[in-house]
Amino acid sequence: MTESPCIEIEGLTRTFSHRIFLARRPITGTIALDHVNLIVEYGEVHGLLGPNGAGKTTLCKILATILLPTAGTVTVCGSDVVTDPRAVRRRIGIVLGGDRGLYGRLTARQNLRHWGALYGLHGTALRSRIDELTERFGLTTRQHDRVETFSRGMKQRVHLARGLIADPELLLLDEPTDGLDPVAATEFRALVGQLRAEGRTILLTTHNMAEAEQVCDRVSFIDNGTILDADPATLSALVSRYERIDALGVTEPTRARVSTIAGVERVEDLPDGYVRFHATDRPAATAVLRALVDAEVTRIRNSEPSLEEIYLHLMGGQRGMRVD
Amino acid sequence: MRLLLTGAAYQLRLLRRSPGDLIALATTPLLTVVFLAVVEHNGRPDLAVNAVLAPALIALWGMSLLIAGDMIDAERATGTFEVLVATPARLWPLFTGRVLVVTVVSLLGLVESWLVATVVFGVPLRVAHPGLFAVTLLATVLAMSGHAGVMTSLFVLSRSARIFQNSLSFPFYVLGGVLVPVALLPAFLRPVSTVVFLSWSADLLRDSLRPAAPDSPVLRVGMVLGLGAAGAALSWWLLSVVLRRARRTGSIALGG
Repeated sequence: MTESPCIEIEGLTRTFSHRIFLARRPITGTIALDHVNLIVEYGEVHGLLGPNGAGKTTLCKILATILLPTAGTVTVCGSDVVTDPRAVRRRIGIVLGGDRGLYGRLTARQNLRHWGALYGLHGTALRSRIDELTERFGLTTRQHDRVETFSRGMKQRVHLARGLIADPELLLLDEPTDGLDPVAATEFRALVGQLRAEGRTILLTTHNMAEAEQVCDRVSFIDNGTILDADPATLSALVSRYERIDALGVTEPTRARVSTIAGVERVEDLPDGYVRFHATDRPAATAVLRALVDAEVTRIRNSEPSLEEIYLHLMGGQRGMRVD
Repeated sequence: MRLLLTGAAYQLRLLRRSPGDLIALATTPLLTVVFLAVVEHNGRPDLAVNAVLAPALIALWGMSLLIAGDMIDAERATGTFEVLVATPARLWPLFTGRVLVVTVVSLLGLVESWLVATVVFGVPLRVAHPGLFAVTLLATVLAMSGHAGVMTSLFVLSRSARIFQNSLSFPFYVLGGVLVPVALLPAFLRPVSTVVFLSWSADLLRDSLRPAAPDSPVLRVGMVLGLGAAGAALSWWLLSVVLRRARRTGSIALGG
């Protein structure tokens, strides 16, 4: 018998409606998630990539039982989020991005004690769990300081410790590095990397491609409430497939000639004076390079496509994505 | 029970960190001065009991309502309300534990008004029936905690609880017979007052200070506890309904 996945989502739809005062029926507004299917296996670190407003947080909240689905089924650790939310809550931990989710006026230790009690931990078990987590996340020396005096990076460590207080099977990280400086974000990713090495199941939402590549086993792209699953191999193939060659001092005849090469998708003028040739495959990129060199263009550089471009290729959509 | 204690412990820590939450206790002596000055000016020492108990009951109701409303607003502001909902804990005992602490602390208002009466006005106050007085106070604290939970539940639906807090205070001071006994209110208000636990508490507290033997004390304490239990049951049911509605509409994180 095969073990069921940690997260199993089928046909998940979530719409947000609003009701006008005295109106009998609500007005259906935004479709945040549209027939989403997703499977995350136990032990997998799964990245959910998408721009702001794509539906990542909505999906995270449904998994955490904070929101109810409008349609479809969502099973977390074998329990349905609608019919058995309490069972789901016992087996998950959630870490929200930014400053959300901690009591600033309490110390780090008091926060952990409070949240631990809400998961049914108490006495020696709770104390030793807090000791273990404060030690692990480098909070020991500041555990008796108020959280509101912490830097964003320190706060995020407390967030992570809180998310792990009940040793959950699934950890939901909703844009955990949002607003962190690069050093703190790197530290945080290293911590997530440790959890990954332990074999913990993690769903990480982010709009940062580098972050997803660094810590995730598998990623899904999401936009306009629609999801597309991809593994790192697919991504790597896309990264190497779509190449860009930038050249400076390209004459109009050369530009016209290069743009007619098979596999050159489009030509773009960059703000720094370079002309960018978008090639759809490696042979086309090679042909572009050869043509430019033949035309005695010497200032040439190439680069990998941005997440936005990969995303557009994957989704076939028209909408861009911010890349940090 | 453990969650009730968790909520109480959390609230105690918060009170230590933010004494501003006890601001209602700053107004209690002033109200006592006003009420006792009116009583003294009109030569009605028999109403001194009303003048002393009213500010204390106002502090009790005001502080409980304040914490009941601010609790949800504050949890939303810190983004902890969503995380709370995502824990397996039942929120009703947690919130009730928090209100219970504030209600107990608000009894300091009684000490304040008592001190103002004896020290500033020289009014000799004596508790004629101390046992009944203590039991009524305890029953009032429990009933208050149960009723404040109703407010907490309703405030989950609101973007800002402050408007309701302000609007709900004075009607309850009147219906609860806090200063003016229910018997003196217009007849049409009396039936409504009978379902407000505070009206039973206020009458009973006043009676326990006076030498005359109070009528049916057990029944009246029972009414305070019964109405308190009804409020607690209503708040428990309301919170579960309201949370489910908030999860459906996506209003758990509402704010501002």
